[in-house]
Amino acid sequence: MQTVTLTPKRSPTISIEAELITPDAFAGKSAAEIGAIGAWEGNEEITLADIFDVAVDGSGDAAETKIVIDGDVPRVKRIGEAMTAGEIVVKGNVDMRCGARMSGGSITVEGDADSWVGREMTGGEILVKGNAAYYAGGGYRGETCGMRGGKLTIEGDVLDFLGEHMCGGEIVVKGNARLLPGVLNWSGTIVIEGDTTLPGGEMKSGTIFVKGKVLEMLPSYKDEGTEEVDGVTYRKYIGDLSRNGEGVLYVSV
Amino acid sequence: MAEMIIKNGVVYDPKNGIDGEKNEICIKDGKIVENVGAGAKIVDAEGCVVMAGGVDGHTHCAGKINTGRVMSPHDMRYAPIPGLSGEEPRTKLLRPQVGYNTPNTYAIGYRYSKLGYTSIAEAAITPMMARHMHEEFEEIPILDKLGLVLMGSNWQVMQYIQDKDPEKLKAYMAWVLLAARGYGVKIVNPGGGSSWTWGKNVSGLDDKVVDFDVTPADILIGLAEANEALNLPHSIHVHCNNLGMPGNISTTLDTMKLLEKVKTKRDRQVMHVTHVQFNAYTGTSWMDFASGAPDVADYINKHDHLTFDMGQLIFGPAMTMTADGPTEYRNARMFDAKWSNYDQELEDAGGVVPLNYTSQHFAHATMWSIGLELALLVKDPWKVMFTTDNPNGGAFVNYPEGQALLMSDKKRQEVIAGFPDMTMDRISLPNIDRELGWGEIATMTRAMSAKMLGLDDKGHLGVGADADVAIYDIQPDKVDPSVEHEKVKKALSFAKYTIKGGEIVVRDGEITATPKGKVYWVNAYENGIVQAEKDRLMTDLEERFAKYYSIQLSNYMVEDAYLPRPVEIRPEVA
Repeated sequence: MQTVTLTPKRSPTISIEAELITPDAFAGKSAAEIGAIGAWEGNEEITLADIFDVAVDGSGDAAETKIVIDGDVPRVKRIGEAMTAGEIVVKGNVDMRCGARMSGGSITVEGDADSWVGREMTGGEILVKGNAAYYAGGGYRGETCGMRGGKLTIEGDVLDFLGEHMCGGEIVVKGNARLLPGVLNWSGTIVIEGDTTLPGGEMKSGTIFVKGKVLEMLPSYKDEGTEEVDGVTYRKYIGDLSRNGEGVLYVSV
Repeated sequence: MAEMIIKNGVVYDPKNGIDGEKNEICIKDGKIVENVGAGAKIVDAEGCVVMAGGVDGHTHCAGKINTGRVMSPHDMRYAPIPGLSGEEPRTKLLRPQVGYNTPNTYAIGYRYSKLGYTSIAEAAITPMMARHMHEEFEEIPILDKLGLVLMGSNWQVMQYIQDKDPEKLKAYMAWVLLAARGYGVKIVNPGGGSSWTWGKNVSGLDDKVVDFDVTPADILIGLAEANEALNLPHSIHVHCNNLGMPGNISTTLDTMKLLEKVKTKRDRQVMHVTHVQFNAYTGTSWMDFASGAPDVADYINKHDHLTFDMGQLIFGPAMTMTADGPTEYRNARMFDAKWSNYDQELEDAGGVVPLNYTSQHFAHATMWSIGLELALLVKDPWKVMFTTDNPNGGAFVNYPEGQALLMSDKKRQEVIAGFPDMTMDRISLPNIDRELGWGEIATMTRAMSAKMLGLDDKGHLGVGADADVAIYDIQPDKVDPSVEHEKVKKALSFAKYTIKGGEIVVRDGEITATPKGKVYWVNAYENGIVQAEKDRLMTDLEERFAKYYSIQLSNYMVEDAYLPRPVEIRPEVA
């Protein structure tokens, strides 16, 4: 077991691209080696030691590596990008694309996550205890496939385009989702425990549960009556018919 | 400029009848010369193949490709071919590179150069978009460039054909080439682009174009005859009607037959038919769709008035872009893909749609086979240009893959073995064991394309030619391309040397210098059209611009400032 603790030294104002903060990159490395890993601050190449105090306890492979970011890193992007195993715990807020393309392991963000948390993830789990911004579990700009597998849980609220172009996996939002969750999606399951607006726009297939209220419903969904799922009665809709979609939208009654 | 001599290489120069001889190539002041002095820089090409720089006579590299870029921000991270795709940061010498199907302008220049190509032709630009094309040309380093101008759905063209006024048509064509600083005449889905403005299309050579009393056949013949009357260096360059539709082979063959009657004074074809792979389908629907390549090849083998290019498919993501608006609408609907649509006033339509070709779909596997069948069944390599219709069939960085496939039956059979069973009764490629040699590859990638375009100083290594040379690290007597596919592909992907205008621009597959290329254009207006005809045309154009265009006639012409290094060609007046 290897535990790496990164303690932020300063509060940068320019975003930092730090896609190498992953158990895969840290596994088996000493504090000095981890501190020497490169990152970009704007157009300046820096090292992790420039922004963090690094402490390492023990040693292990990626699956046995736990990274603790002991503080707020609201300008550090791409934490846990493409990680395959291990664990990351952030005791604060993170910037965009946390957990993008991850295929295994887990990430816990105790604060808020900025946009694109879990973008294109194919496996593993992300838990955001605060809120998430736009495109949580969404796709890369221009791609037609977003999140493909794994589980993304957000305990707070999310902004627009939750699970955009989703192709698989599961998203649970305990709070509210703003505009167009599940837009353009192909597959996967989205559960919104709070309220939302215009769910499932241009959804081709996949499943969305809304346990709160739908504040505005798309006109291109067909009402299929009521259905009970796991002991809860929902009104079931099929759509989005504007795209010959066969997605299923359950709205709590 | 310093002198240079290339020694010890095995030279393939089909135009000058050199097929694998150890010759010396002498260079002085950017041209191939008879001999050089003792102080000349020596380039040792021992164990290498030496050819003229490649000439791509049909590529989409400036213009609509920009819409492709806008629609596919994700393309910048595609990196299936290390060194020729994906993101590469700026260096002291090079600008940053991104992308695969729609790379940025710098990457286009660098990557073509790495393949040993030194000249490219943008295949389709409306006159209204020409200024933008030249702006992109200026930012594509190293290569020489030219643009083919869309005329097949142009209102003026159709009006003058309808009025049976060939003199005015001639004057207008020459004027449009001048206005766009363009090189030749491109015809895409003749008439269809104009009909598309009303959501309609033409379904064959004899349909009437919406609002005009002309047919695609009238447009083709009208433009081809005027093209020859103007004595333009390139023939008409034709994308046939019904592209991408099962059964379109009849339209393609009819188009080829139609042009038999056109005569030229030049030593070249009267029509270049482009990306024929997309136009050689039999059947009545996608269910009974099959390769029509044997019939098309049979016709081409028996007739000498035309040349064609393959439009080879490459499996993986592609970005289709064409002035054929209705085809792109169909593609977008069929594949539930993103769609961009153009309607360029009086000039043409167009569209851009990203697609993904997979060897596991029988239709794509069949299309892949058709391209290769065409190139292998046509006996004379001087009729065939190697293309992928970049990036419609696949990105140009895959040219070495396609070229190496033409040289190896074994590799082709390996690929075919992985196709779905539904493909097998649709193709004839499994029974074609022809393997092309280096001389034939040199013909299809530079000698033929330069001749087809009428670029006398390109595509060969004779005295007086431009000193554009590609040197590939492969020994023809030691490496057998029919079994060493990967070796051939690697050698063609990363030239040992690429020399452009006498300057070494690539060494060991890396860019070493980034000179600016020239832009070729044809001025047939100034000397080719008499003043009375010019006056008659301008009176008409003034009225048409005031009535129909959103742009003023005075703002329409591409200014000289857009071509800092122009090469103006004035065809001889008959």
